[in-house]
Amino acid sequence: MLTSLKLRIKTAHFNQSIFISACSLCFSVGLNAAEVNVEPLQVHGFVAQGIIDVDHSNFVNESENISLELTEVGINASYQLNDDFRLAGQAVYLNGGNRYAAGSRIDYLLLEWDAAHNENWQTSFYFGRVKNNHWLYSSARDIPFARPSIIISQVTYFDGLRDLAVGGDGAAVKVKYNNDELGEFDLNFSRGKSPISGKQVDIIAGKQAQGQLKHDLDAQLSIYWRPSFSAWQFGLSANDASFSYHSAQMDAYVNSDFTLQFYTANALYEGEFWQLSAEIIQERLVTQGFYFPGFHRDQIGQGYYLQARYQVDNDLSVQLRTERYYSNKDDKNGSKLAQVSGGLVPSYFAFHNDLMLGMSYDFTNNFRVNAEYHWVEGTARLSPIVQPDPIANNSKNWQVWAIQLMYWF
Amino acid sequence: MFSPVDHKEENIKTIFSYIIVITLLFSSKVSAINIISNLTADTTSLSVAQLRRIYSMRQAHWHNGIPIVVYVLASKNPLHQQFCREQLRLFPYQLDRIWHKLTFSGYGVAPIEVDTQQALIEAVKTTKGAIGYVENISEVKNVNIIKVED
Repeated sequence: MLTSLKLRIKTAHFNQSIFISACSLCFSVGLNAAEVNVEPLQVHGFVAQGIIDVDHSNFVNESENISLELTEVGINASYQLNDDFRLAGQAVYLNGGNRYAAGSRIDYLLLEWDAAHNENWQTSFYFGRVKNNHWLYSSARDIPFARPSIIISQVTYFDGLRDLAVGGDGAAVKVKYNNDELGEFDLNFSRGKSPISGKQVDIIAGKQAQGQLKHDLDAQLSIYWRPSFSAWQFGLSANDASFSYHSAQMDAYVNSDFTLQFYTANALYEGEFWQLSAEIIQERLVTQGFYFPGFHRDQIGQGYYLQARYQVDNDLSVQLRTERYYSNKDDKNGSKLAQVSGGLVPSYFAFHNDLMLGMSYDFTNNFRVNAEYHWVEGTARLSPIVQPDPIANNSKNWQVWAIQLMYWF
Repeated sequence: MFSPVDHKEENIKTIFSYIIVITLLFSSKVSAINIISNLTADTTSLSVAQLRRIYSMRQAHWHNGIPIVVYVLASKNPLHQQFCREQLRLFPYQLDRIWHKLTFSGYGVAPIEVDTQQALIEAVKTTKGAIGYVENISEVKNVNIIKVED
C-alpha cells in the first residue's frame, strides 16, 4: 500500500527537443525504459498501544491500577525540494499517564540543507524544530519499535524531563566523515529551546507551582565513532542548558534560575546474536532560588545502565538491563537528604535502581509485541522531581510490567 | 553384535545421509547476489566500505553528482538478509536501526522498500541514480552491474 505510494514515479514532462535528445541517448546506450526522478514525498508512521501496571508508585497513575495509558501514534513526511533542500516533519500523540504530558505535539519540523558532500564527507544543517540526536537513543525514545524497550532507561531518558530533552526550536548541524582505515565519525551540534506547557510544569515541579518555566538556552555537542568494519560504536555528548522559573502572584515558589549540565558516554556492540549497550551519565544541577529567595544548591548526579539483548531466532529476542542512578554523588544512600528535610523526604528519593527483563517478538516485518517487567528500588526518577511526593510514593521498592503492540509503515 | 553385511549397510546409510545433508545445505542457499544500478550512475565497481556507506545512507551521491536512490526488499526477506550478511557484512537489524533513526528523527530518509525482486529491478531500471540487488543477473537488462571489491 505505502510501498506503492513510495514507488509512484513522477510523470516526466518532455518538450519535443528534450524528447528527441532523450531518445538519441536511449538508443546510444541501449536504454528501453525512461529514467525518472524518485518520488520526492515519503510518508511513514506508527501506532502502538499497550497495557501497563505499576505497583507501589505513581509512575503512571495514582490508583496503581492496570492502565491503557501507553499509547504512541505518529506520522511523518519528508519532501525533497531539490538536490540541496528537504522539508521534514512529524506529529505525535503520546499518552504515558504521569510519565509526561499527554497529548499531541509537533515532534520535529525542519528544513534540511545539504551544504557540502563528497564520497567521504557530508555536512548538513537543520533549521526549525529539531530532535535531540546526541544520546544513544534520544532521537528514538518515542518510537516504540526503534527504542530498546517499552520503558527505556530512566537514568539517561528520564520521562519527567522528556519534553525538555527531546529537542527544541533552533538549529543543528551534522558532519559525517568516512575513512576506510579509521571508520565512521559523526559530529553533531545543536542549539535551541523547548516550549514548556503548564502540564509540563506540573510534571517537573508539581501542581503547587503556578508560575511559568522557560527554557533559556540549550547547546549540545556529541561525537560518535564506529571503527572500520567493527561491531562496536562509541559516543560522547555534552549538554549545557539553563531554565528560569517566573512565579505567579499566588505561588508556593519564588523566581529562580536552573542550570543543567549533562554529560554522557556510550558504547554499543552489535553482534549476530548479542547486542550490548551501555551509557554512563553525569548531571550537574544548580538551583538558585525557587524554594525561597537566596536558596542555592549545586549537586552532581551520576548513573549508568548496561543492557544486553539476545536474538533467540529471526523473530524472538530477550533482553536484560540493569541501571543505577543517584541524584547526589555525595549522598548515594540518601541519608543527608532525609536529614536535611527533617525526615519529610525519605532517603530512597535519592536513588533509582532498576532491573528489567524483557522480550520482543516480530509477527511480521512491521508488527511487533514487546513485554517487560521492572523491579525498581528508589524513587529519584519519579515526577515531580523538584518537589518529591512521599505520600504517593511511600514505598522504596516498586514494580512495573507492560505489554505493547506496535505497527509501523 | 553386527555382522560385516550390517556394517556395510550402515556405512552406505551414513554416506547417503551425508550426501543428503550436503545437498540440502546447498539447495537451501540462495544463489550469488549481484549489485545493480541505474545506467545514470557512473560507477561499475564499489568497495565493500563504499557499499556500506551507501546502504547506511552515509554517501548520498554518485561520483558524477547524481543523488543515490537506494532500493531494498523487506528486512526479513531471505535475499535481503543474505545481501546484508554477504555483501555489506552487516546484520539486517543494524540497518533497520540506522534507517528507523533517520526516518523518525527527521535527520534523513531511509531506502525505499519494495515488495518483490521484480519490482526492485524495475525501480532500479527506471529511477535515476538508483541502486539495488538481485539474485540472478542473467535475465536483467539495461542496468549497470556493479562489481564489489574488498
